[in-house]
Amino acid sequence: MVIAMLAIMTLAFAGASAEKQETKLRFIDVSPSPTRQEYFTNTFDKFKQETGITVVYESVPWDDAANKLTVLGASNQLPDVMTTWAGWLGQFTEAGWVVPLSDYIGSTKGEYASTVTELVWKAEQELYGNIYTIPDGMMVKGVFVRKDWAKEVGLNLNMKKGWTYAEYFDAVYKLTDPSKNRYGTSFRGSRGAFDPLFVYLESLNGGSAYAADGSSLMKDQEAVDAYKKWMGLYLDGCAPKDAINWGFVEMVDNFCGGLTGTLINDSEVAATALANMKDEQWMVMPMPRSDKDGKIYNTVNSPYAYSISSSSKNKDAAWKLIEFLTRPDNNIEYCKLTGLIPIKTAVGDDPFYGPNGPYAAFVQQLNDPAMVVPVAFGPFNYTDMHQGMMHEEMQKYLLGRQDAQTSLFNVVNELEKRMKAYLAENPGSAVEQPKGLL
Amino acid sequence: MVLVVLYIIGVGVVCALGMVFIRRHTKGRPTALSNLAAQRKAEPYLFLLPTMLLLLLMFGYPLINSFLMAFQSYKLTAPTKIRFNGLENFQKLFSETDIWLIIKNSFIYVVVSVAGQFLLGMTLAMALNKQFPFRGLYQALVFLPWSFSAFVIGLMHRWSFNGEYGVVNDLLMKLQLIGTKIAWLGTPGFSLAVVIMAMIWMGIPFFAIMILAALQSIPADVYEASYIDGCGPLRRFSKITLPYIKPTVIVTILLRTIWIFNSFDLIVVITNGGPANYSQTLPSYMYTKAFSSYDFGLASALGVLLMTVLVLYVTVFLKATNYNKAGNF
Repeated sequence: MVIAMLAIMTLAFAGASAEKQETKLRFIDVSPSPTRQEYFTNTFDKFKQETGITVVYESVPWDDAANKLTVLGASNQLPDVMTTWAGWLGQFTEAGWVVPLSDYIGSTKGEYASTVTELVWKAEQELYGNIYTIPDGMMVKGVFVRKDWAKEVGLNLNMKKGWTYAEYFDAVYKLTDPSKNRYGTSFRGSRGAFDPLFVYLESLNGGSAYAADGSSLMKDQEAVDAYKKWMGLYLDGCAPKDAINWGFVEMVDNFCGGLTGTLINDSEVAATALANMKDEQWMVMPMPRSDKDGKIYNTVNSPYAYSISSSSKNKDAAWKLIEFLTRPDNNIEYCKLTGLIPIKTAVGDDPFYGPNGPYAAFVQQLNDPAMVVPVAFGPFNYTDMHQGMMHEEMQKYLLGRQDAQTSLFNVVNELEKRMKAYLAENPGSAVEQPKGLL
Repeated sequence: MVLVVLYIIGVGVVCALGMVFIRRHTKGRPTALSNLAAQRKAEPYLFLLPTMLLLLLMFGYPLINSFLMAFQSYKLTAPTKIRFNGLENFQKLFSETDIWLIIKNSFIYVVVSVAGQFLLGMTLAMALNKQFPFRGLYQALVFLPWSFSAFVIGLMHRWSFNGEYGVVNDLLMKLQLIGTKIAWLGTPGFSLAVVIMAMIWMGIPFFAIMILAALQSIPADVYEASYIDGCGPLRRFSKITLPYIKPTVIVTILLRTIWIFNSFDLIVVITNGGPANYSQTLPSYMYTKAFSSYDFGLASALGVLLMTVLVLYVTVFLKATNYNKAGNF
């Protein structure tokens, strides 16, 4: 009897210690899809075989992601590894929810493409004082165009030559034909609407948004006129009236579904266009050059970069997982699935990303000496503005409730107020500067 | 966390005291007359006690906490900077440019939705109160919307009223009632109207079920007597039907008003309050504030405002409808 009890106890203790030794990580994906989930679960299986570390996959739909992560962060329950959008970093670093990664990256910095080291990480260091994310892939914007419609209306579009904003606006008007139920552009009127407009306004200021003291550079007549020109696309009927409520999904659906002729969006949309449209129907043009200085102002970021939460109890194992996910073979598989450009130099010569591949216009911009990455809204927390005020002020102008100047100034004044407060609260900090790649 | 534990301990103590109190009043003791009278007096409160304790346990803490948060600077993004700030949240709330538009929207949303649901629900109940072939099947079909989730109903309406591909525009154009497509969800006025339509569609069955049950409980002999006395249909409705179903109608209107006033799911799914807050109501705005700016202090201030409005409404409504006297013939 005693021996049996001893045996049971020994087995129980052995089980407990084995359990104790097993490392388990939680991973959250903020942009789940069946394809992404399959990729991640397969990769986590491979990771377990190689390291013995189990990774539990969790996900939250993109629309609820900011809320869920905020609630998890506030209750100290964030998963070990998170996919993180760059726009949340101000909030996450301010609250101390993510850990700096510079020490982990160490001497491996040279393995990463210059878009990562010179743009993403440089910006993070400038804004938040350290590197907090490892990009999942690089994303750059382009203009998706209905090639067949352009041909019909006599537009001669050349990807290599590019175009200016004036030419882009002209193309949108030409592609609009209500009698055929065709609209020139997938106008974004809801959440995220201010993002491309902000870049257009920055293209008038060399990619900057603030003076050194934090004052906004978008409070002059030139900015108001540019604001009116941009919004004119909607007001002049180049987009369906419903577009005032359009977000990312509606913009992409209506371009791929044959209602709109152009769509400004990230390279990730190329994967959707490839799957849903015929080759002769679409092409990608680079972002338009500034009418003022001829440069291409375009955002380069990684959509769902990997970060480690400060509440993680296994930070070293979490880093191991990130290293595994960004290993060239895994990273290129991921990028092809999700429409991104790989982050490591070792995969740069893949023909898929060559001059004849579907990502030619995006890669071409990254190699263009005239491309400049304009500054972001700021190092402060602007999530609330992004989810409300920014597009609501635009909608008020579109509905004729207030004039263009009031709508624009309401937003830029608030941005200016926050930027100045940030500079005052953080002595030694400076306003971010636009960055060139080459 | 400490507060939660303290609260639960507090509720536990109240609970224990309640049990002692109940035992003292229910144990067979010498039944002196004065004692019996006291026992009778305490009886209703004793019956209410379990429910009150449950409510206190489930709703008390969030209620008290949200009331406290209304007077605090409580941002989820700055958990270390939580502090009391007096009436600042309320000042901020009433200085928001769109607050009066949102209050107006809330009022229209509640009044039109309740009125629409009541009138159509009542009509449906009257129709179903008569015998006709396949009544059971028809009844099951018309009650279906009540079993749908608001999310599904929201999506259905969002797609039906889509300006470009929606079935509503298509039908109206085929019937030649409109010449050009209407951007239902992108036009002020229409966007709120679509949400109201969805809300009415969803709530008709509730009114119909409740009123039908009340109608079926009216004794047939009262109607028979009215026929003998030569009473007309209008008089029968106003003097027999309406007084009999009045208590049900009052409670149903009261409940639906509170539910509709508090509901935000349909709005979030169909229009998300847009465009430019033209279909935003107080609860949907509270949700937006809580989960887009993470300003729980401001959202709680809105919650306190909502609660005050509802308490005032319930008091005035019950007084105005003479609820206590309803059903007395």
